[in-house]
Amino acid sequence: MSRLELVIRQEFRILSADRTIWIVCAILLALIGYSLQSGMTRISRQEAVAAEMLDKQAKADAPLMAQLKRIQAGEERPKPFANPADPSNMGSSLGVRTAYMPAAPLAPAAVGQSDLFPDQFKVTYRSKVYFIYDTAIENPWNLLSGNIDLAFVIIYLFPLMIFALNYNLLSAEREQGTLRMLMSQPLNLAALLAGKIAVRASALLGLAVLVPAATLSAARPVLFETLAWWSALVLAYGAFWFACVVFVNAFGKSSAVNAVALIGSWVVLVLIVPVVLNVAVSLAAPVPSRTEMAARTRVITTEVLNRYAHELRVDYQYVAKPEVLVPKDGKIEVPSRMRAFYHMQRDVDAEIQPTIDRFELQLAKQNALARALGILSPAAVAYEGMTALAGTGGRRYAHFMDQVETFHQAWKAFFIPKIDAGTAITAADFDLMPDYTWTEEDAPVVRRHAVQGVLQVLVPAVILIGIGAWRLRRFSAV
Amino acid sequence: MAILLILTSMAVGWQRQREASAEQQAAQELDYRDWLNQDIRHPHDAAHQGMHVFKPAPTLSIVDPGISRYAGTTVWLQAHRQSDLKFRPAQDATGLQRFGDFSAAWVLQILVPLLVIVFGFNAFAGEREQGTLRQTLSLGVPAWRLLWGKALALGAIIGTLLIPAVIAAGFAVVLGAETGGRADAMIRLAWAAAGYAVYFGIIIYLVLGVSALTPSSRVSLIALIAFWIGTAVLAPRAASDLARRLHPTPAKKDFLAKMETDLSAEAERIWQEKFGVKAKWSPDLPLNKWGIALRVDDQLGYAVYRRHYDALWDTYERQQRVQEWAGLVVPLLALRSFSMGLAGTDFAHHRHFTEAAEEHRHLIQDLMSEDLVKHADTLDHQHFAYQAGKDLWKTVPQFQYRLPAAGWALRRNWPGLAVLTAGLILSFAFSAAAVSRLRVVQG
Amino acid sequence: MLETIDLTKYFNGTVALDRVTLRVEPGEIYCLLGANGAGKTTLINVFLNFLEPTAGEARINGLDVTRHALETKKFVAYIPEQVMLYGVLSGLENLGYFAALATGECLPRARLVELLATAGLDGGAADKRVSAYSKGMRQKVGIAIAMAKGARALLLDEPTAGLDPKAANEFSQLLRKAKDNGVAILTTTHDLFHAKQTGTRIGIMKQGRLVANLKGDEFSHTDLEQLYIQHMTDGMKP
Repeated sequence: MSRLELVIRQEFRILSADRTIWIVCAILLALIGYSLQSGMTRISRQEAVAAEMLDKQAKADAPLMAQLKRIQAGEERPKPFANPADPSNMGSSLGVRTAYMPAAPLAPAAVGQSDLFPDQFKVTYRSKVYFIYDTAIENPWNLLSGNIDLAFVIIYLFPLMIFALNYNLLSAEREQGTLRMLMSQPLNLAALLAGKIAVRASALLGLAVLVPAATLSAARPVLFETLAWWSALVLAYGAFWFACVVFVNAFGKSSAVNAVALIGSWVVLVLIVPVVLNVAVSLAAPVPSRTEMAARTRVITTEVLNRYAHELRVDYQYVAKPEVLVPKDGKIEVPSRMRAFYHMQRDVDAEIQPTIDRFELQLAKQNALARALGILSPAAVAYEGMTALAGTGGRRYAHFMDQVETFHQAWKAFFIPKIDAGTAITAADFDLMPDYTWTEEDAPVVRRHAVQGVLQVLVPAVILIGIGAWRLRRFSAV
Repeated sequence: MAILLILTSMAVGWQRQREASAEQQAAQELDYRDWLNQDIRHPHDAAHQGMHVFKPAPTLSIVDPGISRYAGTTVWLQAHRQSDLKFRPAQDATGLQRFGDFSAAWVLQILVPLLVIVFGFNAFAGEREQGTLRQTLSLGVPAWRLLWGKALALGAIIGTLLIPAVIAAGFAVVLGAETGGRADAMIRLAWAAAGYAVYFGIIIYLVLGVSALTPSSRVSLIALIAFWIGTAVLAPRAASDLARRLHPTPAKKDFLAKMETDLSAEAERIWQEKFGVKAKWSPDLPLNKWGIALRVDDQLGYAVYRRHYDALWDTYERQQRVQEWAGLVVPLLALRSFSMGLAGTDFAHHRHFTEAAEEHRHLIQDLMSEDLVKHADTLDHQHFAYQAGKDLWKTVPQFQYRLPAAGWALRRNWPGLAVLTAGLILSFAFSAAAVSRLRVVQG
Repeated sequence: MLETIDLTKYFNGTVALDRVTLRVEPGEIYCLLGANGAGKTTLINVFLNFLEPTAGEARINGLDVTRHALETKKFVAYIPEQVMLYGVLSGLENLGYFAALATGECLPRARLVELLATAGLDGGAADKRVSAYSKGMRQKVGIAIAMAKGARALLLDEPTAGLDPKAANEFSQLLRKAKDNGVAILTTTHDLFHAKQTGTRIGIMKQGRLVANLKGDEFSHTDLEQLYIQHMTDGMKP
């Protein structure tokens, strides 16, 4: 048996006899369990809501088709603002489709931005400004406080558990006096350190990676690759803190000093740096003012209202001539006001687009800067990576907005010509109406970001271990 | 280091706030000017154009931004529906935003206790280990006086660190507040400072108590650090989780669906009652009743929206109540809501603005539909041919919003202060008991 | 076997070892005497590569300890003044661990029990937790470890300090047996009696310098004591 293996066996024996490792592992297990449970409850609720919505949507067309048939047959008098034959009604309030983003397989692991951004949008031909700024419903206090999700447990609390077991790796041996006994044998200090770490790392990292992996893949249709990247990220993050432990121990100070140094580094890297980076990013790449956007929207809306003032002045014909509501030879009279209304929506969309584009550009710049600066804090990088893999990160929501946008265009492209030409909706149109389908993010993009995240955490880890190894050479056993 | 950080954050915040509020004021005035300069048009179209109103940032938000990153700033007062406040700053930020906001409040609530722990953990335990404790006590110094002296010392350390920050805050407040708001802001700042002082008192006595109680300074440090991590990092999230389990926030879909159902049900009932028609805007309704119909429709909408939003916001406030009760055990939670409440960045203030904005919306809609009743309905069946002009637009006043006064905030937040004071008494009692049982020698 | 050549060590300007040159041949017991802080323990720490010499060399079996750190450790066994072991494990488990680290092989339980018996540890105590052991019992485990290693050189730091005369005598007998087997032994001690009793050579250190280097049988007990005190009080030239 090599000396490394001897150390490993011994450490395992010693640790098992000492209660600390069992307590720490129990706490870790409890936290992981709690966070996964609340995550899975949250996601199952979310998915139930989504399923209900899809169900309702699937069932919504049939009664409308039936009503349309009855109207065409003359059996029913259409209601003015709820007339399925009228394309200006079908395209807006009646035939509304919901664009939604399903919860990703790993969603229970991280709340991310899912309590801030909505995962459903009702798409009509109305201008996008009416729906793209919607938010999820949540008490702002809860948004401020945050959740206990698995990402929180790993990023904030897991390092503390690593410290609890490892802060005195070498200092305890020295203070106990056993280090002299060990170093008088032909044992490499690095082998001793590696052996001690191996036991603790396998316990802690094993729990942190395997328990969530097992639980989530049993409960949800998790893709192997996503799970592999998640585990890699957790391992890398754990490796970083183990590297810190090696680094601190290598300087040969007392156990108490080690503990303080490690807690201090946690306070700085996990609590302070991300918050300071937040300020820095918002200063260096500020988002243009939303007040300005609101003002711009209102200016455009005003102009547009003026532009179509003439058409808006026309009264609804159906009051005097109710037969106007019924389609004739595939044609229907779209009320002048409704036509003006939809024209206004279209114009607003076109004219606000440059402002929106400017905003998106600025937001993208902010995100790029945040990603680059992230190397200063492994906690920030790991958090970003975890939310991305859980499908609750900003990038996936942006991808969702792109798909909503595309669908919005398709929806408009279907109804606009009909409104312009006064073509009535027929039963056949129900099949032709654009359907919303969700496509997941491009796998290579996800992969690229995952690799980037893992590397950004591993590079500082490697540097720290390197410096630690170099300091170890001067480590004194007495 | 800490002071530097606080000062920078306040400077940055002050700068931002000045720009933002100047911009808001300009936008608000532009908006009203656009309203007044509307062409001659049908009043209902004007109602659809509506107005934008902007939520002003309270002066003390540079000290404690509270929920302001997660609460919208702009609302569009338009016809037929109550809109949510849009543009939460957090939506325009990166994922880093979820780590927290860098503010004076954050430093004071989270980092200063750590400082107290670092300076105070071995106040008694360390002296015991060094042997000086025995010497001091043998001189006849009563233990409680020792406690008082050490508490004073710790307090002095914190004081020297924080005095510059408090002065800077005072200046920022005085310079930043609008005229007339200065006195109010100073009162709020004074009460907030009192709350923080009580909080620091709790921490100081707790640290000293633990230091006296534990057998060694190592155990004292571990216990205090564990406590700090538990309260500063874990407790806010745990309390939020607990609050949500006890009073769940409804899902958006459910909330909207219920509101819609309620609206349709109400609408059917009232339209049947008032106009004898089965459906809203039924073709049976003559055009010369559209003015009244709009007014009726609006009014029933007000009631329904009010009911549902009130229920939602009451749920939020109940959730917050849970967290405040938890403040008995974790003083940080009590301080957080007290600080936000006095700074004007808590949900109660946000709700105050939202309700005021909604009131203004009611005003606009009512004025428009009144005008229609008077002038359009009399035109018989040419409802949309009626156009109104500047005379009508002028009757709608500009949205003037006054932030609630300090007294209003105090009335809502005195329980938090009471909890903190109770905490101080408990903490003092704890440390007094620990010191009276002080073990003089190591062992 | 054990050799230092002009070994010098400075700690922040104070000299701990000043050009110490000595040699311990196989089958010799070299007793190093000196006051507290004379540099005895420092010398041993240098042999074990716990400290780096400022100048000069220390060699074990002809190999420089700084350049062949792991190799030289194979030849030497070390018993410190306070043998510290892992308290949660038993004497037997501790012996098994350190012996395995020393030789690279896991020794069978029977052999470990035999070693402990030879070292003089009470049979019943072998399986009890080391946290219950006395200083003497721990030292016996240390001896067992050294025996298991079968090293050709032995470094002992104040081995008889705190031992009652009977235990000290038992210990001396073990040392003599090792010497007869050709082991080179270097011990530091305050115990003049034990030094005269067991030592083939005696050295006296004062303020980092080796001020006397004598053959054990050249002096009687009383002579040795007088010589020691003389060196310690005045500055008798080496």
